Amino acid sequence: MDPRQRVLLQRRLGVFRALAWGLVLVLGSIYAWLQIVRHGEFKQLALQQAVKVRPIPAPRGLILDRNGYRLVDNRRALHLVIQREDLPTKAEVVEALSQALQMDPAALARKIQAYRAAGKGSPLVLKENMDEADIAVAERVRARFPFLSMEVAPRRVYLGDELAGHVLGYVGEVDDDLMKARPGRYHLGETIGKDGFEASGNDRLKGVDGQKRILVDQLGQEVASFGQVDAVPGHTVFLTLDAGLQKVLQDAFGEEAGAAVVLDLRDGGVLAMYSSPSYDPNLFLNRLSQEMVDRYLRNPARPMINRATQGIYAPGSTFKLLVALAGLEKGVITPQTVIYCSGKKNFYGRDFRCDKPTGHGALNLVQAIAQSCDVYFYEVASRLDIDDIYATAEKYGLTVPTGIDLPREKAPRIPSREWKRKAVPRDPKWYAGETISVGIGQGAVGVTPLALARFYALLATKGRLLTPHLFMGLRDDQTNALERVPPPPAKEAPIDPRLWAFLDEGLAEVVTSGTAATNPFVVETDKETPFVGKTGTAQVATFVDKAHYARQAKHLKDHALFAGYAPRANPQIAFAVVVENAGFGSTAAAPIAAKVVKYWFADRLKNPIPPPRGRLVDPFSPEQPQEAP
Amino acid sequence: MKNRLRTLDPRLLWVLLALMALGTLTLYSAGRNTPQAGIWLKQGVWNLLGLTLMVLLSTVDPRRILRISFPAYLLGLVALAAVLVVGRKIGGATRWFVLAGQTFQPSELMKWITLLYVSYRLGTRAPESVGRWELLGSAGLVAFPMLLVLKQPDLGMALSFLPILLLIPLMKGLKWRWVLLLVVAVSVGGVLGWKHVLKPYQKQRVLIFLDPSADLQGKGYQVNQSRIAIGSGGLFGKGFTSGSQTQLNFLPVKTTDFAFSVWAEERGFLGVVFVLGLFGLFLTRLLEAASRARTSAEAYFCAGAAAIFAMHLMVNVGMVAGALPNKGMVLPFFSAGGSSTLSFFLALGLVMGVLHRAKVK
Repeated sequence: MDPRQRVLLQRRLGVFRALAWGLVLVLGSIYAWLQIVRHGEFKQLALQQAVKVRPIPAPRGLILDRNGYRLVDNRRALHLVIQREDLPTKAEVVEALSQALQMDPAALARKIQAYRAAGKGSPLVLKENMDEADIAVAERVRARFPFLSMEVAPRRVYLGDELAGHVLGYVGEVDDDLMKARPGRYHLGETIGKDGFEASGNDRLKGVDGQKRILVDQLGQEVASFGQVDAVPGHTVFLTLDAGLQKVLQDAFGEEAGAAVVLDLRDGGVLAMYSSPSYDPNLFLNRLSQEMVDRYLRNPARPMINRATQGIYAPGSTFKLLVALAGLEKGVITPQTVIYCSGKKNFYGRDFRCDKPTGHGALNLVQAIAQSCDVYFYEVASRLDIDDIYATAEKYGLTVPTGIDLPREKAPRIPSREWKRKAVPRDPKWYAGETISVGIGQGAVGVTPLALARFYALLATKGRLLTPHLFMGLRDDQTNALERVPPPPAKEAPIDPRLWAFLDEGLAEVVTSGTAATNPFVVETDKETPFVGKTGTAQVATFVDKAHYARQAKHLKDHALFAGYAPRANPQIAFAVVVENAGFGSTAAAPIAAKVVKYWFADRLKNPIPPPRGRLVDPFSPEQPQEAP
Repeated sequence: MKNRLRTLDPRLLWVLLALMALGTLTLYSAGRNTPQAGIWLKQGVWNLLGLTLMVLLSTVDPRRILRISFPAYLLGLVALAAVLVVGRKIGGATRWFVLAGQTFQPSELMKWITLLYVSYRLGTRAPESVGRWELLGSAGLVAFPMLLVLKQPDLGMALSFLPILLLIPLMKGLKWRWVLLLVVAVSVGGVLGWKHVLKPYQKQRVLIFLDPSADLQGKGYQVNQSRIAIGSGGLFGKGFTSGSQTQLNFLPVKTTDFAFSVWAEERGFLGVVFVLGLFGLFLTRLLEAASRARTSAEAYFCAGAAAIFAMHLMVNVGMVAGALPNKGMVLPFFSAGGSSTLSFFLALGLVMGVLHRAKVK
């Protein structure tokens, strides 16, 4: 290279060197901008994606029957989930995943889209409550789709399946409407009771969720944990229910629709409450399948309704005791008043028929109750005003909900002038003829089986208005013993004991020689444990004659009722039974009551029904089985 | 052996060893807790292999190497053409030969061979005697392998051929203000046009035309995570193996394209300045080699090498900070990779040879 050329070259290389250091300077400035000027912002972003606060769900309290047998248990369940950060976006990934999990690709895509739109904090659940086969599949699939993760969550098990579906209810994720209605009360994705005691006892059962701050990696997997607030487990609750008696009711109803309630006369505790058809709460823990929707939600038999607290039935002849009380207290009859029944009687130009077409002849009050003579009570009602009947019902607590600790209880419907004005604005006037029908528990009058049981509990106790309840107490977690809480207070609505004796006598004769005595099992049971009650047959539709009625479809047939208490001498329980479209109360409902009496006072002591699924111990808990108190 | 090591330039060697050591440490941190935990060792082996090749090559007279540059260039073209036919397709691009389980990327080496051949052609004549047709021919020599690389497609690699063209002004002394004006006009116009004139879908079309395998959404995510890593590193960094973005795998492809983000996150701005300073010294030393070279061809090669290394530095370090489009271009001594490492060291072996003989003279 000649010297002149070298000088030129070196000058040009000097420019190159300046450019090189210029590049270093420019790059350094870019990094100074990011690392010094904007450091705070990026530090925040880095923290945001690496540090997550995740809730630790509190184990929900168990639900035990009055003897400490588990009705509701907790198990661990494994869910296959995707954390929000890891949601696959590419269609082909979703497609491949759906194939691997044997899901419908379109359904999975929709699920992911809906989840993304909902913006929930909890992960997307692909498969709930996996069994062993599911877990094996998930493990295999996870190798190909590392964004899948498994989450352990406590899960409810309702040990009796359909045994006490309506009483226990079920749990689920809090829905948006409730979140909006009670702002600040629930957090997103929280598990709450949706029905039954799970709902009404939610605050006792749920405990306090804890939370932990964790470091997650790009796949959302926990890498380290710092700062954990432990969850406080929910209380384990004793219910007043007796699992054995509940089973008696379940078996007694079989395929028949209806409801029955048995109350403890000492404090109003519900010993058994069954609504048929029942439902299995276990099925409501998962997303509902189409089959489930058809079976439960679209079923014309409406199995989701708790008929015991939400079913309004015409009480039929079981209402005659209230009419009698109204007549006696108003003074329009005395216990000795005799009325002649010829099989029908004309009031206000219309014939009202007795159930016995040939007539009962002359009857006093006790005989009228025992034979369930309609004409007798038409006559009593005709001497009363509808508002007298309403006032008596109000006095004895039959016009309001009983206040049981279950959600959505309905109030009985006892007509009055004011009621008609509001309920039937087209025809607001009350007609005297309507009072006649009310006299035998027909017409506008309607009660829930629970309210009816409470009324017969009032009769049994000569005027104590108990508050039916399921909550008996909490379990002391050290000793596993019941910590009883005082029952809700009873109100006093005393019945004149002199009048009461006649009512009691009438009810006793129903079983010994009256309308219920036609059933041999009822008579048999009564010999062992004398009990009292009143049959009822509530019309669903009106028919020309018995032959016409006999031809009718099942759903138009009368509802059968029976309400009473036992034992007669020193009453301990009261009950009400409604069997839908089953015909006479004496043949369909009274035997169920007799089964209750027989179990409670005889079989329970000698040969009790074992609790659901035996006395199970949760295999994941070190707890010992508790002895029945 | 001692005699052989004397062919190495100590000032270049120290900078080189420092960059290598820091790069290997970074790879150790980047590979932790991933299936690539051993990548720093693997890269260490490549580095040692590269150093050995560099030492061997430095003992050879660069003029002898320059003399065989034409057949090497032809061979390189054949290899580039062949890889399009029989190469392994990885991630939508056909760039690799598979040899005994190792992938080899011929374009890495071809870049240096092209530089070598262009240096040889321009260096063997007096600057005054080189006409514009000759210069155009040199540009063609660069463009030809570039087009083959673009076909793979590999836009980043193709761009790294461009610095070779800087040799032309180096030789002919094109008026610098025209060059500067051109650079400024192109960059300002390009940036403004990109940011304000082109609509997003048009940009996407441009990028997809240049590189159909580009997943824009995916790359946007990568750069975003890289910027978070760099920015959150702050002045002092989060400490070795303590970068949350790196260790929790938020940072993508962190052992190759984004290795520098690992360094920036864990060592902070001070670490960044240190490494950039080392690169500055490194480039300076290459340019010094050029100015001391015995022959014009050797000088052109050294200056071209500096330009290529600078291009890598600019595109990679700029890209991970989000200042330049996400076009895969490795950072020498930091990004893991066998072909690129060996190629870098081979080039440096030649530079070492030039420096050694310059001193000898």
